[in-house]
Amino acid sequence: MKLATALLLVTLTHFSLYGQNLPSDSTQTNPRQLNMVVVTATRTPRLLMEVPVVTRVITEQDIRIANVLTLQDLLQTELPGIEFTYAMNQQVSLNMQGFGGNSVLFLVDGERMAGETLDNIDYSRLNLDAVQRVEIIKGAASSLYGSNAVGGVVNLVTRTSDRSWSLHLGSRISSLKDMHHYGSFGIKRQRWNSLTDLHYTDAAAVHLSDTGDLRTIFANSSFNANERFHVNVSDKMTITGRAGYFFRQREKSEEANDRYRDFSAGLKGDIELGQSSALMISYAFDQYDKSDYSVVSRLDVRNYSNVQHTVRTLCNHAVISPSDTTAHLGTLTFGGDFMRDYLMSYQFTDGSHTQYTADAFAQWDWLPTSRLNIVAALRYDYYSEVNMSHLSPKVNFMYKLPQVNFRAGYANGFRAPTLKEMFMNFDMANIFIIYGNPDLRPEVSDNLNASVEWSRNQYNLTCMAFRNHVKDRITTFWDQERNGMVYSNMSPVNITGLDISLSKQWDNGLGLRFSYIFTHERPEEGGMRASITRPHTATMRIDYSRDWYLGRTTLALNGRLLSAVTCDEYTSYSNLTQFEEITYPGYTLWRLTLRHSFSRGVYLTATVDNLFNYRPDYYYNNSPATIGRTVALGLSLDVDQCFSNCKEK
Amino acid sequence: MKLKQLILLPALLALVSCNGLLGGLYDEPAKSPFGFVQCDDDGRGGILCIDATSYTRWTYIDLHHRHIDMANITQGQEAPIEWDFAIHHYDVKTHEGTAAETPFDNVGMAKELYGLEFVADVDSQVVIDMSTMMEGYLGYTPSKVNPVLSRWLDVDISTMPPIYTPSNKVYLLRLSDGTLVALQFTSYMDDSFVKGIVTLQYRIIND
Repeated sequence: MKLATALLLVTLTHFSLYGQNLPSDSTQTNPRQLNMVVVTATRTPRLLMEVPVVTRVITEQDIRIANVLTLQDLLQTELPGIEFTYAMNQQVSLNMQGFGGNSVLFLVDGERMAGETLDNIDYSRLNLDAVQRVEIIKGAASSLYGSNAVGGVVNLVTRTSDRSWSLHLGSRISSLKDMHHYGSFGIKRQRWNSLTDLHYTDAAAVHLSDTGDLRTIFANSSFNANERFHVNVSDKMTITGRAGYFFRQREKSEEANDRYRDFSAGLKGDIELGQSSALMISYAFDQYDKSDYSVVSRLDVRNYSNVQHTVRTLCNHAVISPSDTTAHLGTLTFGGDFMRDYLMSYQFTDGSHTQYTADAFAQWDWLPTSRLNIVAALRYDYYSEVNMSHLSPKVNFMYKLPQVNFRAGYANGFRAPTLKEMFMNFDMANIFIIYGNPDLRPEVSDNLNASVEWSRNQYNLTCMAFRNHVKDRITTFWDQERNGMVYSNMSPVNITGLDISLSKQWDNGLGLRFSYIFTHERPEEGGMRASITRPHTATMRIDYSRDWYLGRTTLALNGRLLSAVTCDEYTSYSNLTQFEEITYPGYTLWRLTLRHSFSRGVYLTATVDNLFNYRPDYYYNNSPATIGRTVALGLSLDVDQCFSNCKEK
Repeated sequence: MKLKQLILLPALLALVSCNGLLGGLYDEPAKSPFGFVQCDDDGRGGILCIDATSYTRWTYIDLHHRHIDMANITQGQEAPIEWDFAIHHYDVKTHEGTAAETPFDNVGMAKELYGLEFVADVDSQVVIDMSTMMEGYLGYTPSKVNPVLSRWLDVDISTMPPIYTPSNKVYLLRLSDGTLVALQFTSYMDDSFVKGIVTLQYRIIND
């Protein structure tokens, strides 16, 4: 009855919560969260400070302070070297330190996502409201994750229900007439818990310019619903289930809309085997569809469907010294995956293709001394459609001294040619045909990195140098004989760089964080500079929090600084000797966020985006899609906290 | 037993939905019939559907005899003797006729208004080869084109994919024998979103 009353109250007062359905802001957080447990780097739970692979974590608190709607905005706000831009047909495209969207693996709770457009997954499926933290591994990681983990892995870890009941509601509106509404309901009992999320976003069309490459950003609306539950079947066994539905509509023209749908489901069992072993078995289903909707005829015609079924097993076994049962020698991790990948596309002349992939991997996480940690892994992947296989090794070292950690490693990454790249045969508006190539070789990267991390008195400084040698990158080249574009392997590219992060949290509530990345991308054989990777990028944040009698107020200034980049672009696709130099200008964007947490679980947020009113002189595809300074307001409510506060009083 | 069921359940799910779920959400596009696909009871109007996907073809329409002919430009094929107007992709020309744009948005309501300016065809050119577009130019051939009727669809190719903006206007076509016909182009693509499938409504107002 109380719950029903609360729901009614919330509906009547239009109270809402934008995404901040989280515990209150009452805890001061170490910005590097060194004592946080992360899972992505080794596929085993490890403390962040003890992971031998440099891992960046974007925490709940970071997400709240950034006050952004999309994962793209969050990653760009928090990390330098990441740039989301628009590509042809206004599709979103990623560049992460020289690697494109198909070379960075995005996972949700460790599961892959089906579907792609212009080599990028549909990032709008990744809803921040349900995310507890984001773990980012920069560099190759195919020895644990297989294909696509060439330039990095981004793993979104979702929340679980941690209170007997919870109801969170939120809304946000902006001066661009964008709206975002969100709600979640969670229950936790002794043997089970459940969390249901609903999200709706509506973004109006934005006219940027009359003459640029980017003119009007299409209106978009999306709906996302997810359910996750956990059941403790016994003391040694937990079952996790999930189901999700996603729908997005893009208003491309007055006559036609693009529609995108995703259906996902999964079942996972975690079983403890004795004192020192754990087994995970899972099944995942993910179907991503695209369709054209005619406003005139009201027909919704599907033209793309990617359906993936994945069965996975993972086993962790802690190895104890036979002579001393308290001495932990290391952890052996092994497992395998089997996936059926079905793709129907308007870009095929023969309708659809199906591929089976299988892999097996093993990792030895060894602790020879209390200061030294060595992790070595090897993975074998097999792809049925072209009878292709690949071996991915890695080795990482970490040496710990008081306050200082040294890390170094080598990792191999690969990306198998996709079904699209192998079998495409697409007539591009009578202009040319894009041909697939079944003889493509996998894209391979050898990643070397070394870093030093120093932590003391809430200071944290990390410096990492990296080098990636990328062979057989897959792209399209003009084929004069066939008068069309053909997917082909490129000559090798070297990507080298330096990644520096500095953070400090003072006891008086002031926090500072600065990150800088230098990236240099160069073809090994010289020639034209095709890369549009910006050499210098940085992010910074200054935040201040203060408790007072009305609650807690946080003020945060986030900055994003990108240098200009000069590259060569072809003036004619059919004559690859003709190109011209073009410079894309650098820019900085700043966001000011004021957030107040009332003690009764009510949160108010005001954000000024593009604080200094930057507008590009010309809107290139990689210009920020901004019309200048905008304002957003958010109101959110933790209904359960309101009730608990009332009870306490 | 419970563990066995848990392992079997996903396997069963996989078998029943290998190539995906909920296909019923989507529509199956009907194959467009081409030609005079619908005729009014009085025989003075109807709906035409033209396959104008090819850049190398003019499609000639004879409204009086409800007949359609095609001529390949690059093969030098001539126009038929009897025709009223012709469509090349989104270009339109008339057989020594004139055309005017009206403020109407419904063929049934169209009528001749005082002050409408009827414009004859002009010497122009039409695209016959798009394959050189990526080299920065297109292949053209000289042709007569009616500038008013060809305004029915604006195609902006400065961005990819092109932006299509139909006028949705009703046009009046005065044939060489004085017959006045109302034309409204209703679509530039079919139900499968194939561009170049042109649908139009016509109505003979007076003859």
